Amino acid sequence: MTFRRLLGFLRPYRGQVIVSTVLAIGSQAAVLTIPYLTGQAIDATRPGHHDRQALMLDAALIVAAGALQGVLMFFRRFLAGRLSLAVEYDLRNAMYRHLQRLSFRFYDRHQTGQLMSRATVDLQSVRIFLGYGLVFFSQNVVTVVIVVGALLAIDWQLALIALAVSPLMMRAAYRYSRLSHPILKDVQQRVADVTTDAEENIVGVRVVKAFAQEEREIGRFAALARRVFDQAIAAARIQARYVPLLQTLPSLAMAAVLLVGGYSVIHGTLSLGSFFAVNGYILLLVVPLRSAGMWVGQYQRAMASGERIFEVLDVDRDILERPGAAPLPTGPGHIRFESVEFGYETGRPVLRGIDVDIAAGTTVALIGPTGCGKTTLTALIPRFYDVSAGRITVDGTDVRDLTLDSLRGDVGIVSQDTFLFSTTVAENIAYGTPEATPEEIVAAARQAQAHDFICDLPDGYETRVGERGLTLSGGQRQRIAIARALLMNPRILILDDATASVDATTEARIKLALREVMKGRTTLIIAHRLSTISLAERVVVLDGGRIVAQGTHAELIDTSPVYREIHSHGLVDRTFVDLDGDAPVAERRAAAATQRRLP
Amino acid sequence: MTAAARRHGGKGRVRTIGRFARPYRGRALVALFTLIVATVTSVAGPVVAKEVIDSGIRSGHYDIVVLWVCVFLVVVVVGWMATAAQSYLTSWVGERVLADLRVAVFAHVQRLDLGFFERTPAGVVISRLTNDIEAMNSMITDGPTTLVQNTLTLIGSAVVLLVLDWRLALATLTVFPAMAIGTAIFRRYSARAYRRTRERMGEVTASLQEDISGVRVVQAFRREDANYRRFLQVNDGYRAANVQTVNAASIYFPFVSLLSATATAVVLGYGGVLVFHDQLSPGALFAFIGLLSNFFDPVQQLSQFYQTLLAATAALDKVVEVLRTEPAMSDSATAQPLPEIVGRVELDDVRFAYSAAAIEVLHGVSFTAEPGQTVALVGHTGAGKSTVVKLLARFYDPTSGRVLIDGHDLRDVTSWSLRSQLGIVPQEAFLFSGTVRANIAFGRPDAALDDVIAAAEAVGADAFIRALPDGYDTEIQERGARLSIGERQLVAFARALLADPRILILDEATSSVDIPTEGRIEEALETLFAGRTAFVVAHRLSTIRRADMIVVLEHGQVIEAGTHRQLIERRGRYYALYDDWVEAVA
Repeated sequence: MTFRRLLGFLRPYRGQVIVSTVLAIGSQAAVLTIPYLTGQAIDATRPGHHDRQALMLDAALIVAAGALQGVLMFFRRFLAGRLSLAVEYDLRNAMYRHLQRLSFRFYDRHQTGQLMSRATVDLQSVRIFLGYGLVFFSQNVVTVVIVVGALLAIDWQLALIALAVSPLMMRAAYRYSRLSHPILKDVQQRVADVTTDAEENIVGVRVVKAFAQEEREIGRFAALARRVFDQAIAAARIQARYVPLLQTLPSLAMAAVLLVGGYSVIHGTLSLGSFFAVNGYILLLVVPLRSAGMWVGQYQRAMASGERIFEVLDVDRDILERPGAAPLPTGPGHIRFESVEFGYETGRPVLRGIDVDIAAGTTVALIGPTGCGKTTLTALIPRFYDVSAGRITVDGTDVRDLTLDSLRGDVGIVSQDTFLFSTTVAENIAYGTPEATPEEIVAAARQAQAHDFICDLPDGYETRVGERGLTLSGGQRQRIAIARALLMNPRILILDDATASVDATTEARIKLALREVMKGRTTLIIAHRLSTISLAERVVVLDGGRIVAQGTHAELIDTSPVYREIHSHGLVDRTFVDLDGDAPVAERRAAAATQRRLP
Repeated sequence: MTAAARRHGGKGRVRTIGRFARPYRGRALVALFTLIVATVTSVAGPVVAKEVIDSGIRSGHYDIVVLWVCVFLVVVVVGWMATAAQSYLTSWVGERVLADLRVAVFAHVQRLDLGFFERTPAGVVISRLTNDIEAMNSMITDGPTTLVQNTLTLIGSAVVLLVLDWRLALATLTVFPAMAIGTAIFRRYSARAYRRTRERMGEVTASLQEDISGVRVVQAFRREDANYRRFLQVNDGYRAANVQTVNAASIYFPFVSLLSATATAVVLGYGGVLVFHDQLSPGALFAFIGLLSNFFDPVQQLSQFYQTLLAATAALDKVVEVLRTEPAMSDSATAQPLPEIVGRVELDDVRFAYSAAAIEVLHGVSFTAEPGQTVALVGHTGAGKSTVVKLLARFYDPTSGRVLIDGHDLRDVTSWSLRSQLGIVPQEAFLFSGTVRANIAFGRPDAALDDVIAAAEAVGADAFIRALPDGYDTEIQERGARLSIGERQLVAFARALLADPRILILDEATSSVDIPTEGRIEEALETLFAGRTAFVVAHRLSTIRRADMIVVLEHGQVIEAGTHRQLIERRGRYYALYDDWVEAVA
C-alpha cells in the first residue's frame, strides 16, 4: 500500500522512469554478453581450433559491449539521479505545503522536531529507494531473467540445478523483510525522538543554562541516543542472521554446477566453453542475489519512512472550505457568536453557551481570569478552530461558508506570543501584505510607535531580526507585530494583550494610535488593565468558559461584581499617583495588582 | 579552503573518528579478523574453479572434482559464519560510535556560550545533531566493511593474478593510469559538491524549523502560499547542489566499467594468444577472467563507497566544526569553585560589546548590591538592562571591568558552581514538554513531589495545577502550549523557587495577566525575593518601589541609583520617567 503510494510520486516522471529502466536493461544486457563472448573466445583457444581472428573479434566485441554499457549507464545514472532528487523535492514540498495548512489543533498535538524528522531523515531514505533502489532492483531483475534465460539455453539441466536454491533464497528474503520492517520503523521513530529532544533543548537553551542543567540534559539525550542504538542493534542482529545466508546460498549453486558440470564435461556431454559460460553467468548472478538482502533492507527502511511520511500527509485538514465557499462580502464587520460551544478535546468544553453580538465598528473588551477562554474565543473568528456547536457570523455569513483567505485577510491579529521571522524588519511588517510599498510599511510602523526604534537599529528597516538576527526586546517585538497587523488594514482587529510588553510611555502613545486605527473597524481587545479596557465601548466578562456579564461600563458597575472589583482597583490605581512609599500595605497590594509599569 | 586547511581537516576527521572508536577496539579487532576470513573465503571461488578445471576436468578425474567441491563447501560455510559475525560486530561498533558521536556533539553544544546560539539558527544546530549524524550512518556502519573487504579483495586478486601469470597481470595494469586520473578528478569535483549539498540541507532544515514553529503566525497572515514559493527556492537550492553530485557519479561510474571491459578484452586478446602458443592453460585464462571481475568489482565498490564517504565527510566536517567551536567563555585553567554565596554583588566599571565588531552597549557600569537586597534595573528598552543581567549570570564576559560576587571575579570561578547558586527567570517563561511536575523540578530533578507542591503553593500556582486533567502529572505540550501565559509565568516562578538560589535574577515578564493572577504573581515575587540578593529588570511599579535600590540605566550607563523615595526627591531622570508613567495612567 505504502509502496504503491510512493510509486505515485514517480507518476509525473513516468517517461523518465521508463527511459531509465530501458537504459538499465540495455546496459545490463550489454554486460551480459560479456560472459558469452568470453566463452566464445575460450572455445576459440581450444587445442586444434586456434582461431586468432575469432579471438580478436570477441575481444573487440567485449570492448564494444563495455563501451555501450558505459554510455547507457551514463544516461541511466544521469536520469535516475535527477529523478530521485525530483521525487525528494516533490515529496518535501508536498509535506511542507500540507504542514503549512494543517490546523492549529494538529500543532497543539505535534512537536516541531517530530515533524522535521519526517521531512528530512525519512524523506532521504525514501529518495534513495525510489531513485536508486528501484532502478537497481529492476536492473537486477533483468540480470536474473537474462541470466536464467541464457543458462537454460546453454544447458537447461545444469540451469535447473543451479536454480534449485532460489526457493530457499526467496523464503529467506521474505522472512528477513517481514522481521525487519517493524524494527526499522521503530528505529526511525526513535531517531525522530532524538530530533525532538534536540530541537526543544536548543530552542530552550537559555533555561537549561540558567538552571545549570546541562549535565542532566546530556544524560537524557544520551538515553535517547542509546535507545536508537539498541534498536539499530536489534536490526543488525536480524541482518546478521539473514544477509550472510542470502549471500552464501548462491555459492551452493556454484558448487552444484561445478560438480554436475564437471561430470558432464568429463563425459563429453558439455563443451568446456559452455561450462565456462555457465560458470560465468552464475558468477553474474552472485552480485544481484547477494545484494537482494541489502535491497530488502533498503526497501523496508523506505516503506517504514514512507508510512511515517504518509501519517502526516494523511492528516485531514479539519479546517476546510466548504464547497461553494464565497469570499467575505464587503461589509462593516458585524460579528455574532450564537450559542457557541468549543473544546480542544471532546468532552472537555472550554467555551459554553457563548452569545455575543459585536456591532460593526465597535470595540469590545474581553476580560476574565487566566485560562477562562478569552484567547480561544478570538481564535474562533478567523477559524483557527471550528466551533463544536453554534455558529459565528461575520456580517451575517457563517464563517464556515467563507473562503479562508478572504476571512483571514480581513482579520488582523496581534497575539500574546509575538513570533517574528528571520528576515528584515520591513519584511516582517509586510508579512501579511508582501506587496506593500516602503511608505506603507513606514506608516504602519509609525502608527504602532515602532518607527523611532526601528530607525535606531543598525540597518533601520533592513535590519534582520528573528532567530538569525538581532534580538529585540519583548516590547519592540510587540510593536512590530502591531504594525504587521495594521498594515493588512483588516475589517476586524484582535488585540490579545497587544500592549502587554511595552513600557508605559509607549503604551500611552500606542493607545492614542489604537484609538485612531480602531475607527471603522470591529475590534476585540483582551485586556487586564483598566486603561486599555477603557478603549472599549462594551465589556464581556468571561469566567470558566461562560459569559458571566456583558454590557457597558455603567451597566457592569451596577450588575457585575467581577467588573466592580476590577474597576475599584482602577480607581485606587488613579489615586496611586499621589501616594509615596509609605502607603498602607493593603493599598499597595491593590495598586500593584493593577500592574502599571514604568519604562 | 586552502590545501593546508583541507589537509588539516582530513587529519581532524580521522582523529575524531579514531577517538570515538578507541573504546571499542577489542570488538573492532574481532570484527576485522572475521572480515578478513570472510574476504579470503570469497576469493576462493575462482581458485577452486581453476583447480576443478585444470586438475579435475582436463585430466578426467572426477574424484578430484568432488574433492575440490567439498573443499569449496567447507570454505563457504566458514565464510558464512565469518560474514554473520562480522556483519553483527561492525554494525555494533558503528552504531555505538555514531551514538557516542551524537551525544558528544550534544554535550559540546550544551557547553557553548549563548553567543553561539545567538549566531547560529536553532535549525542548523539541530541539523548537526540529526541529519549530519544520519548522513554518517552508512559510512560508519558499512564503511569499514566495504573498505577492508574491497581493499583485501583488490590486493588478494592482484597477488593471485601476478602469481597466475605476471605478463597478463601487467597487461591489465595498462588501464590504471587512466583510472587514477579519472578518480582524482572525480574526487575533487564531488567533494565540493557534497559540501555544498550539506550546507543547503542545513538551510532546508532551518526553513522547516522556523515555518513549523511559527505556523500559527503563518496562517494568521495567510502566508501559506508565499512561504511555499520561498520554500520551493530553498528546496531547489538543495536539489541543485545535489544534482552536481549526480553529474559526477554519472560520468565516473560508466568510465570505470568501460575500463573494466577494456581490461577484460586486453586479457582475453593477449591471453588467447598465449594459449595459442601453449604458454598459458585455458583454466588459468578462465580463472584470470573470473579474478578480473573480482578485481574491478572492488574498484567500482570503492568508488561507490567514495561517494558515501564524501557525503559523510561533508557531514562530519560540519560536526567537527561544531566540536571545534570553543565556548567564548570557558572556565579558565585556574578557575576555582565559587564557595557558598553570601550575596554581595559588585559591578566595577563594566564595559561590554556583543562582539569585537559590534558597538559597545555598556559604557562603564558600576554599582554594588549588598546581601539580601533587591535591586531594580530600570530604563527604556535598549538601555542595557538585559545585558547587565546576562553579565551577572556570566552568559558573557565583560569587555573590560569586572563582575564580582562576594569579592570573586566571575572569570575566576567555575561556571557550574556559579550557575548552580544562581536562579534566573527569563522574561519569557520557556517550558519544556513533559509534566508540570518535571518542569517545576527542572533545576532540582531529584525534588520530592511534596517539595514541588510546596514551591507551587508558595507562588500560588497550586490551585490551577490541581485543576488540570492530571494535576501535577499533566503533560503541558511543546513550550507549555496547554497553559496560558500567566500560568506559564507562575510555573517558571515555582521552578526558580524550588532551585532555591542564593542570587536571583529576574527579567520581569511584562505581559499582563488578569487581576487575581497578577495578585498571585505579586505575592510570589515577594516570596521569591525573601532572603536572597535579587536583581530585577523591573516593569511593575510595585516591584520597583519595594526595591532596596533602583538603578536607572540609559544608553548603557547608570545615571541614577537609590531608593524610590530618594530618587523622587532628587527630581532627576527617574522622576521624569515616573511622571511619564503617571500621565500614562491618567
